[in-house]
Amino acid sequence: MSSNKDIKIPDLHKDIGSYHPINNMKDSIMDLLTKHGFEIVEGPEVETEKYNFDMLNIKKSHPARQMHDTFYLRNKENLLRTHTSPVQIRGMLEKKPPLAFISGGKVYRKDDDATHLPMFHQIEGMYIDQDVNFSNLKDIIYKIIFDLFGKEVKLRFRPSYFPFTEPSAEVDILSKDGEWLEVLGCGIVNPVVLENCDLDSNVYSGLAFGLGIERIAMLKHGVNDIRDFYKSNLDFLSQLK
Amino acid sequence: MKIAYKHLIKHLPQKPSIDDLSDKLFQLGHEHEIQNDIYDIEFTPNRGDCLSVNGILRDINVFYDVHLNQDKYQDNLKKLDINFVNECKDDCTNVAFLKIEIEDHIKEYKDDLEDYFDIFDAKKINFFTDISNYLAYETGQPTHCYDFSTLGKSIHLKEINHDVEFETLIDKKIHLSGDNLVFFSDSELINLAGVVGGVYNSCSDRTRSVLVECAYFNPEKIIGKSLKYNIKSDAAYKFERGVDPKCHEQVLRRFINLVELHSTIKSVQYFSKQYKNFTNITVPYDLNIINKIIGLEITDTKYQEFLKKLGFDIHENEIIVPSYRSDISSQNDLAEEIARCIGYDLIPVKPIKINNKHRVENPHKSIEFKIKQLLIDYGFNEVINFPFSSNSSKKSIEIDNPIDSNKSFLRLDILNSLVENLIFNERRQQDSIKLFEISDIYNFKNNTVGKSRKIGIIASGTIGKNYRDFSKKIDKNYLSLILNDYIDDIDSKITKVSRQKLDTKIKSDIFAIEIELNDFNKSILERHSTLQIPSTDYQFEKVSDFPKIFRDLSFSINSYENIESLQKLIFEFKSKYLKDVFIFDFFENSREEKIKIGFRFVFQSHEKTLTDGDVNDLISGIIQSSIKMEGVEIPGLEI
Repeated sequence: MSSNKDIKIPDLHKDIGSYHPINNMKDSIMDLLTKHGFEIVEGPEVETEKYNFDMLNIKKSHPARQMHDTFYLRNKENLLRTHTSPVQIRGMLEKKPPLAFISGGKVYRKDDDATHLPMFHQIEGMYIDQDVNFSNLKDIIYKIIFDLFGKEVKLRFRPSYFPFTEPSAEVDILSKDGEWLEVLGCGIVNPVVLENCDLDSNVYSGLAFGLGIERIAMLKHGVNDIRDFYKSNLDFLSQLK
Repeated sequence: MKIAYKHLIKHLPQKPSIDDLSDKLFQLGHEHEIQNDIYDIEFTPNRGDCLSVNGILRDINVFYDVHLNQDKYQDNLKKLDINFVNECKDDCTNVAFLKIEIEDHIKEYKDDLEDYFDIFDAKKINFFTDISNYLAYETGQPTHCYDFSTLGKSIHLKEINHDVEFETLIDKKIHLSGDNLVFFSDSELINLAGVVGGVYNSCSDRTRSVLVECAYFNPEKIIGKSLKYNIKSDAAYKFERGVDPKCHEQVLRRFINLVELHSTIKSVQYFSKQYKNFTNITVPYDLNIINKIIGLEITDTKYQEFLKKLGFDIHENEIIVPSYRSDISSQNDLAEEIARCIGYDLIPVKPIKINNKHRVENPHKSIEFKIKQLLIDYGFNEVINFPFSSNSSKKSIEIDNPIDSNKSFLRLDILNSLVENLIFNERRQQDSIKLFEISDIYNFKNNTVGKSRKIGIIASGTIGKNYRDFSKKIDKNYLSLILNDYIDDIDSKITKVSRQKLDTKIKSDIFAIEIELNDFNKSILERHSTLQIPSTDYQFEKVSDFPKIFRDLSFSINSYENIESLQKLIFEFKSKYLKDVFIFDFFENSREEKIKIGFRFVFQSHEKTLTDGDVNDLISGIIQSSIKMEGVEIPGLEI
């Protein structure tokens, strides 16, 4: 038998595992945002109406506060946060401007169908300083979108509505199929929110943005069914190496 | 909401094309699709004022000179003597009633009315109700029509908080519960205010005397009712988002006009009551603030032109907000109006450098990320589970309104979810399952919501799918060796999960550990990994739900030189059904001067359940090619 053994024995392919694609996407986006100077802040998923709604100028009559949209806990004493914005409220109450926060994580809405899940992930960012305006917001958004989708991507801003920002916008990118796809929401922080956090809205202004990680992951990974991320199916998950 | 292009264009002398108008609607924030010359618009929840033809026209007036072409009844209105008692003046600040009596004959629908039913292929119900529905589309103000002959001597608006059955005009009986704003005629409940009327007082084709109710309801009193009672109500949708509190007389004058076009009116009487004085909102005129918010330098002339075109009045240093714009109350609101008029895409980008004095940490250098790297290096896969659980204890947090009544608690551990994940993957024929999840876990004790960041790890089956690990089963020692350097007293923390209560026939031992992330010592931060962070551009392949078929082929080879050629042959074999192939066995028998090498083939189809026949054809192709190689044989093969 030949003795050329060392170079001929088969490779011992190491079995490596996989990051969850949603956490991988979340960490990558957080990473790129920290490079722009944003600081990561964290907060609880079990929240109160005060931080999840009231402080964010979401009025009692807002549909999002209904039982059919929000998971309430312990006879409405608590709720599962419906967005990561309350983390930023807590951040604004703790520190003084200039502030540049990002918060990412699980959020919950009472949905369960082919395109919506009761739990999904968001990343939100906020920058509070003197003289921050809508033109500056556009600069930040362009940077984020270009980082995520490349500098060739075409994007558009559409007016939208969020109680915690005014003016508010949604941003679409043009897909290869010529279809506009919504990728994030953003706006100028509503002065009511600043005042709720004891920040003088005559001195400070801010920009804010938020994006759904599943949405971005579906677009970038070519995944058509959002439920694929949460079946814990190794045939799916182990593809991401 | 669906709005026909035709119904907008008739008021626009410039006659923009459907696509030009579409662009302007997008610029204003009215996202939509176009089908059959109809815009299906998704209005943001703050723009209740836009939920009509007239609402859209008011908004696009900023680009086009809208000439509203809608006739209204101009004569004086005779007073209606009605015994109306409003017990909820805070929740219904304005109300108007119109009584119309007509001659028998109703002509065929014409003009706007006929066109509305034609273009939307809408079902006609009866004359008065049809006018009411059309008017809601045209003006945005819902009205409700009662057959006057069925009403008693008085009408009351009150809030009830007792349970009662209510038979609606849409052939549906609902059980009212909790607080509800309702109209009564004498002692009979006739209308769930702002949502749906009752069947016994509704109009029919025989109705010749109608009482039309036109009101402003506090959105908070209407919100959630249609969902609660499972009623699709256009009126509720509009009231929830806020209607114009000052439009009632004009809407009812338009109602009379439409009746007049189709029948001879015998009498018309009108009642209106305002229980609270409406004062238009005002915002100080301050262009500097507007320019500061947007980051622009627009002129006073341009600012005033935009505001006036949108229906705002300017008096001295105050901007008077029109009654239908309940969404405007601040400088930021006005800034958004101006930004919409200019076009968000035309607002220039001004570079900004983030000025942050606080420390910024890289998420890829955190202890949590290092823990993930360790596990992924050893073949573990990260999963994410929903936190809803059927298990509960005294410390559990209960969900008031769970999606699934069987899962009405927040989980107190990760392990139960991981066991479910493991069984799921065993059923999908995975023979090596190594999973982990990191999650916040919440409990309630000592009157406080507690949170801990935990990690759960579970493993069962073969250690790996290479020839060194395939024959080895995961045991406690395997987990211990991976984690020992980073967790104190690791052996006491690893548990064996009993399969006794699990719905599975597989016998492999299951080992798991669930600890707080804080239990990892900081030395893990020093651990080096060569693992690359995966690309966020990776394209996932669709997963098949059809079963896999496994085939093993063991070869005997007499020379190391032939191993490489055999591997090349096998690994380059292509078939749409071949999902995976790996070497599961490699053994050198020096006494016999033979090398044994075993390949496992995994077949799976995206279209069907594969048969043995499908796979046998493929395998025999591989066999035929391989045994032609010199020094390669398959022991026991009968040809």
